Amino acid sequence: MGQESIDEFERDLRQALERRPAPPGLKRKVMAEKSRRRTQRLHNRTVIWQRLAASLALAAVVGGGFAWREREQERKGEEARRQVMIALRITGHALNQMKTQLAAHHRANGE
Amino acid sequence: MAHDWHPDFEQLVDEHQSMVFSLAARMTGDRGLAEEIAQDVFLELDRHLGRMESAAHTCYWLRRVAMSRSADALRRRRVRCTDLWIEIEEGHGARGEDKDSPLGARLEQMLATLPEPQRAALVLRYQEDLTPEEIAKTLDAPLATVKSQLQRGLKLLRAKAQSHLKEFVRAKG
Repeated sequence: MGQESIDEFERDLRQALERRPAPPGLKRKVMAEKSRRRTQRLHNRTVIWQRLAASLALAAVVGGGFAWREREQERKGEEARRQVMIALRITGHALNQMKTQLAAHHRANGE
Repeated sequence: MAHDWHPDFEQLVDEHQSMVFSLAARMTGDRGLAEEIAQDVFLELDRHLGRMESAAHTCYWLRRVAMSRSADALRRRRVRCTDLWIEIEEGHGARGEDKDSPLGARLEQMLATLPEPQRAALVLRYQEDLTPEEIAKTLDAPLATVKSQLQRGLKLLRAKAQSHLKEFVRAKG
């Protein structure tokens, strides 16, 4: 076949391959999906923020718990130390009394 | 890159839906799949809308993404070329359109049987009226390869037409 028929063939091919109209619902589906994805994105973002806030709250509660426990232990330690000091003072006082009594007893026996 | 072009997404869908759908349908031969691909392409356009620099850039981007998505879909589905026309004929093809001559329909059918790279080059050349240079840019392929694919595709299609469309050739002659 010559150049003319090749051109004719190409012309036929060009005609055969003209753009076809898209399905009637395509644009509507695209817009609906776009809207759905946008809502989904917003929802996901909200969920992420909610989870973040919940995590922060949980971390604050746990951290606060640890801090409170630490402080409570310190307080108990301080209380125990104070009680030991009182006990030592009482013991010291008793020993002094005993020492005084012994000294008085020795003096009485010596005379 | 800063640019002053602020397109309306809905208008872009309106303008280009036929092009994107036709490219996908001719590449995959599956109307339903082509519709899905077209949807995906436009939704991706929506995500990248801020990067579009002009109407021409958008058109180029849409063609490129449509071709790439169609190739991906074909790879996934491993659609056999011989099965393609059934879908084209049922759906994408002559839907009550008078302009579809029997030759046009059969040429399109034969096009669907060509190897994918040749089909891609021919669709962009004869549907989109692109030059080989533009096709090479769209398909991200060397110019020489595109020219060769066009030549071989056209030759093969012509040979198929000669052997299968004798009655039409006679009628035309």
